[in-house]
Amino acid sequence: MATWQLEREARDARVQAGSAVAKGKIVEARDATRLLEAIVRPGDRVCLEGDNQKQADLLSAALLSVDVAKVNNLHMVQSGVVLPEHLDVFERGVAKKLDFAYSGPQSARIATMLFGGKIELGAVHTYLELFARYFIDLTPNVALVAAVSADRDGNLYTGPNTEDTPTVVEATAFKDGVVVAQVNQIVDKVPRVDIPADRVHFIVEADKRFFVEPLFTRDPAAITEGQILTAMLAIKGIYGPYGVQRLNHGIGFSTAAIELLLPTYGEKLGLKGKVATHFALNPHPALIPAIESGWVKQIHSFGSEVGMENYIRARSDIYFTGADGSLRSNRAYCQTAGLYACDMFIGSTLQIDLQGNSSTVTTSRIAGFGGAPNMGADARGRRHPSEPWLKAGQEADPDGHVLLRRGRKLVVQIGETFGDKNVPLFVEKLDALELAEKLNLDLAPVMIYGDDVTHIVTEEGIANLLLCRSSDEREQAIRGIAGYTDVGRGRDLGQVQRLRERGVIRRPEDLGINPLDADRSILAARSIKDIVHWSGGLYEPPSKFRNW
Amino acid sequence: MSTTSMQAAIAPAALTSWYEASARTRVRLLLDPESFMEFVGPEKREVSPHLKVFDLPEQFDDGILVGHGSLGGSSVLIAAQEGSFMGGAFGEVHGAKLTGLLRAARDIGSMPVLILFDTGGVRLQEANAGELAIAEIMRAVIEARSAGAKVIGLIGGRAGCYGGGGLIAGCCSALAVSEQGRIAVSGPEVIETNRGVEEFDSRDRALVWRTMGGKHRRLLGAADAFVDDTIQAFRDAALVLLEQVGGFELSTLTNEQVRLEARLRDFGSCADAVDIWTAEGVADAGAVPALPVNQFIAVADHVRRISHDTR
Repeated sequence: MATWQLEREARDARVQAGSAVAKGKIVEARDATRLLEAIVRPGDRVCLEGDNQKQADLLSAALLSVDVAKVNNLHMVQSGVVLPEHLDVFERGVAKKLDFAYSGPQSARIATMLFGGKIELGAVHTYLELFARYFIDLTPNVALVAAVSADRDGNLYTGPNTEDTPTVVEATAFKDGVVVAQVNQIVDKVPRVDIPADRVHFIVEADKRFFVEPLFTRDPAAITEGQILTAMLAIKGIYGPYGVQRLNHGIGFSTAAIELLLPTYGEKLGLKGKVATHFALNPHPALIPAIESGWVKQIHSFGSEVGMENYIRARSDIYFTGADGSLRSNRAYCQTAGLYACDMFIGSTLQIDLQGNSSTVTTSRIAGFGGAPNMGADARGRRHPSEPWLKAGQEADPDGHVLLRRGRKLVVQIGETFGDKNVPLFVEKLDALELAEKLNLDLAPVMIYGDDVTHIVTEEGIANLLLCRSSDEREQAIRGIAGYTDVGRGRDLGQVQRLRERGVIRRPEDLGINPLDADRSILAARSIKDIVHWSGGLYEPPSKFRNW
Repeated sequence: MSTTSMQAAIAPAALTSWYEASARTRVRLLLDPESFMEFVGPEKREVSPHLKVFDLPEQFDDGILVGHGSLGGSSVLIAAQEGSFMGGAFGEVHGAKLTGLLRAARDIGSMPVLILFDTGGVRLQEANAGELAIAEIMRAVIEARSAGAKVIGLIGGRAGCYGGGGLIAGCCSALAVSEQGRIAVSGPEVIETNRGVEEFDSRDRALVWRTMGGKHRRLLGAADAFVDDTIQAFRDAALVLLEQVGGFELSTLTNEQVRLEARLRDFGSCADAVDIWTAEGVADAGAVPALPVNQFIAVADHVRRISHDTR
């Protein structure tokens, strides 16, 4: 007779084997490696929870120390390759294949290991895309996750950094996988249940709190006048005219400048209440002045931000919070919100080519995509109308049938023509292409495709690509705002002039902006301490951002 | 892009952040209105002779302005470093301008000098010239003081007052510092590189500020006045210090030696600034970094009165 429950039986056998080192569900931290040796089989798909913020760091270290004779050739399917241990497991032969979304601090080493053949690369994904594959063809056999606390039954409290945990656990637990959680402490009753106990098989009490990176804190002291000018252009030239209320911001300094200009420059333009009211956004400290000034109505978050806990708790009208009062974040839902319910994404990048394709990959670094491609992509499945979406659609296709014409999400790339270390933002050919050729990839790692980009903002002006009618016009519109980079100097002066007359290119003076007004004195906060003052002392910045 | 703007041009001294302001804005708002007269100004284009070798941009004033003006109706000589040009670092021309100003003060004998420090130390691209400049400036400070000129340092810029700047500050008659101001010789990264992260974690900014920042320098007695981060506050402090600072005698140096020996004896075994503040009798030393300016000044005045017969 055919057997249809082999996976369930295998899961039960793994849990049985693991129980030998556990008391109930609870495993001592020193037994974590023995637990993993008992429950992980060679060739398993393993999700080691980690993204751009929180990390199951104890379980990473435990996995690294397993006996390679027992556990080997794993296929890691995880959001973030962030800790050194995430790559050490490949050096040791514990793991062989990798599917991921974000690398960040390990971006240089991951490139080296790919070139050296130490890692067999599946693909680089967006967060949402990898989550989707957890339910189709990359379902984990074992998930190693992180939470703040657990009760003895195994109910988990993730705290403000819930992030990927519900998605990872959903895919693993309901498809006969084993879920192991590292927690900071075991308590009698958890403050709220983020993951119900029947989805968790083992709990390891860590001797120190799991690591969380404060990735979304931008010190206003480092914002330059060039960034302030680009922020003024974006507010007056895009936020205002399109009436963008629902949006997502990237993590760069230009968008931090926008956040800090809303209560000052935005107020002067009379835009309060008309733009920037609903966000899919992590709890950016730089948004505090705008929140305190009554600009922002609601924010849903991918994750949390270190130091923002008390502020969020005290501003539950703005943030999503649980019964315990603390933030409830959820990366999968927030990515979906950013894709379908936002009318604009605005963020920075490292390279933009002549057709508007952009990438953060350079030949020596593979930073991954994180969430930006989902934020910065037109959602073809979107069906609900909104003013900015319809207006953008009309600009792209003025002759189309009004009732049949798709709207467009505004996808805005913002940056200075020469970025960090005076590296030009605009290039003839993306480094991502060279990397793809060198590694024989089927697809170059492009962050945002040119056909999704609607506007590019630099200190020289705004290029509205929706109004371009040919790839030649697109190229000249991009050259026309590329400043003194080689791309910018290669412009056709006559064509750029005609594009400017048509409003495809708009210079600061066309928008009534005097570049001399782009001064740090118009930022609502010029230091982290100013932000602390705005928050009434509720925001508690991590030590690395303090200058007192 | 221009660093001076319409807003800054009209903002009065009380509303303008010292930390944010350019050297020129600081000088303009610190002195009596329209009283500044620059020596060897940018129109002379006395640029660094070394930077072009490294294909680095020059600045027409080489990152420092020196000149003459009036403060509260009295004549002063003044120098201000521009921290946004090469971190305010000392190069050959930069150093020569300050040396010349101090020698003028020596020759005049009675006119005080204000030095608005904002520097990371010696410019590495012209290190020999820069190191020589530091030595010349230290000598010039002492000669000016010996001739009867008071030399007051004002510290609260982005670059802090590091390297040779820290040595020169140590030679001044008195210093005023804001919370943002940092005074030291070796910078945080240098200490970490040479002695390890266990000795000093340069990325722990709270540690950097409580070790090198204005509050600690005031509590330790290295800075004579602690001020709010406005140009007006620095102006007020400069006027008070010019009033209070004593002459420069052999006894000044012996008193200073006594003060430094006592400091080493009392706090030499402290591992952290907070231990020093506790040893000094600050009630809640851990709360010092977060104290607002006025409350901190009250605490500092309570535990450490500054004696003006040292330095």
